[in-house]
Amino acid sequence: MNQFTFPSRARVFLMVCMAIGLVCLGITYVTDDALHTRFWSNLLHNSVFFTGIAFLALFFLCANVIAFSGWYTVFKRLWEAYAQFLIVGLVLLLVIVAGLWMHAHHLYHWADADAVAADEILQHKSAFLNPLNYTLFTVIIVGLWIFFARKIRSISLEEENVDKFDFSVHKRKLRIWAAAFLPIAGFSSAAMVWLWVMSVDAHWYSTLFAWYATISWFVTMLCITVLTLIYLKGKGYFTEVTSDHFHDLGKYIFGFSVFWTYLWFSQYMLIWYGNVGEETIYFKQRLQDYPVLFYANLAINFVLPFFVLMRNDTKRKAGSLTVITIVLILGHWLDYFLMLKPGILHTAHEVLGHDAAHHAADHAHGAAEHAHHASHMVAGFTLPGFLEIGTFIGFAGLFAFFFLRQLTKAPLVSYRDPYIDESLHHHVV
Amino acid sequence: MSTNREILFGLYDDETDLLSAVKVAKERHLNIDNVFSPFPVHGLDPLLGLKESRLHQAGFIYGMIGTLTAFLFMTWVFTRDWPIIFGGKPYWSVPAFIPITFELTVLFASIGMVVTYYAVNGQGPGVTNPVLDDRITDDKFCISFDAGHSSEEELAAYRKFLGETGASEIRTKTI
Repeated sequence: MNQFTFPSRARVFLMVCMAIGLVCLGITYVTDDALHTRFWSNLLHNSVFFTGIAFLALFFLCANVIAFSGWYTVFKRLWEAYAQFLIVGLVLLLVIVAGLWMHAHHLYHWADADAVAADEILQHKSAFLNPLNYTLFTVIIVGLWIFFARKIRSISLEEENVDKFDFSVHKRKLRIWAAAFLPIAGFSSAAMVWLWVMSVDAHWYSTLFAWYATISWFVTMLCITVLTLIYLKGKGYFTEVTSDHFHDLGKYIFGFSVFWTYLWFSQYMLIWYGNVGEETIYFKQRLQDYPVLFYANLAINFVLPFFVLMRNDTKRKAGSLTVITIVLILGHWLDYFLMLKPGILHTAHEVLGHDAAHHAADHAHGAAEHAHHASHMVAGFTLPGFLEIGTFIGFAGLFAFFFLRQLTKAPLVSYRDPYIDESLHHHVV
Repeated sequence: MSTNREILFGLYDDETDLLSAVKVAKERHLNIDNVFSPFPVHGLDPLLGLKESRLHQAGFIYGMIGTLTAFLFMTWVFTRDWPIIFGGKPYWSVPAFIPITFELTVLFASIGMVVTYYAVNGQGPGVTNPVLDDRITDDKFCISFDAGHSSEEELAAYRKFLGETGASEIRTKTI
């Protein structure tokens, strides 16, 4: 079976998931505080998370093309399909952008004109951190990613019409477009991470942050690939995908989980060692108010995959892979939760505090207000509540629905890719 | 490491010939002494019934020993033996220990595995390895039989097997 048909049961299931997500977003909006902080932060969290996954699928596909590698060729349609989700991602992020212009949310401290006027650091950063820049970067860069995702996809489909082992399309088109995308992707993704994620802590910055956030996306993307392959193999598709392919995906997940930890720790240790107040505040906040998530993040995303995926056989068996990939997807989702929520909550408290004190721009007061609010666990902020989990299910359903629909549009295995035989005879051990 | 063993061996030109020959040898229940190849041949290990090496398990244990050595030693030094405050940090500064702990883990695992590998294979400084034919480190693939401990019928069967499976040269050598 080389033509995927979307099973109606899966279709219904994913629609139910999306409905759960919508209902949860609705409930969040209604029961929220005056600024709808929880609603907007959940929307941002999930939009950024899944847009990044789609972007990383395209990035890794292009990197493999440039590396002349062939192991992935048999399931390359999956990554092409994930990458098309960027279109949905742009729409979701445009909602955030619209909210920014209409002052519907206070996700970003730097977007508040009053706050910037009273804050020298924000004034210095305002050349980059301003609503117009945020809008232009989002539209142009994600637009560029979409352009490349569609271009790579169309070249890949064009290859269906060539003879076997004909390198002409691969050489003259695919490699050139893939090579063009990599440097663009490398620089632009960092800028997007700064704007979307890091700028919620508007005073704080870390030069490592973009890599750290990107690798989080990457591990998740690989985990989703493994889960999709296991699901499709269970349905009788992708019989050509063997345990050797899973072994290599498992190695990537293992290796990049360690790399994620390396970046996480590098960022943490340098800030801890330097002991500069403007930098340590980031970790102080998280260690004081989010201790469970802070340590769980390391346990789930490092200790668990390190010991589970170290062995050969756990990387080759569907059971162990299913468990570890599901845990890792949730783990990196929590990682993004921990990147976004503390800064957003802080901003919300400051804005709410300001309103209550009638613009008495008193920083000590804001800090005291914040300490008061953060002294106890708050579902949706210091820990994900049911509404967050429901929203995540909704977005995951949307992502799965979208890429499964993309898979129906082309043959699953590209038998005309010049590297296909290498992939079909892939042996690791 | 001369053992004065008489070895009968055949040289093949291609790894696919080698693989199919090993399959035939298994079918005929011939007692292969060793197989030589200039590079790892996929699928050869399971055919020969070689078990997966346990070297990596030893490596894991060495690594853990390295982790504990580094971490516990630094803990002892900086909390009991010679406590000094560096940069206003507490005595037991775990983040500062991590890079050194990592390095010692890698050092112990790698050196431990190299030493174990050499010890298990009876190799070390000054040990020379007798070679059946120089070309098996270049472009020839070799199947060898222990001729000194084989009966006349077995030897005949080995020679017949080597001839039938396409060995380009069949020779004996005492190493």
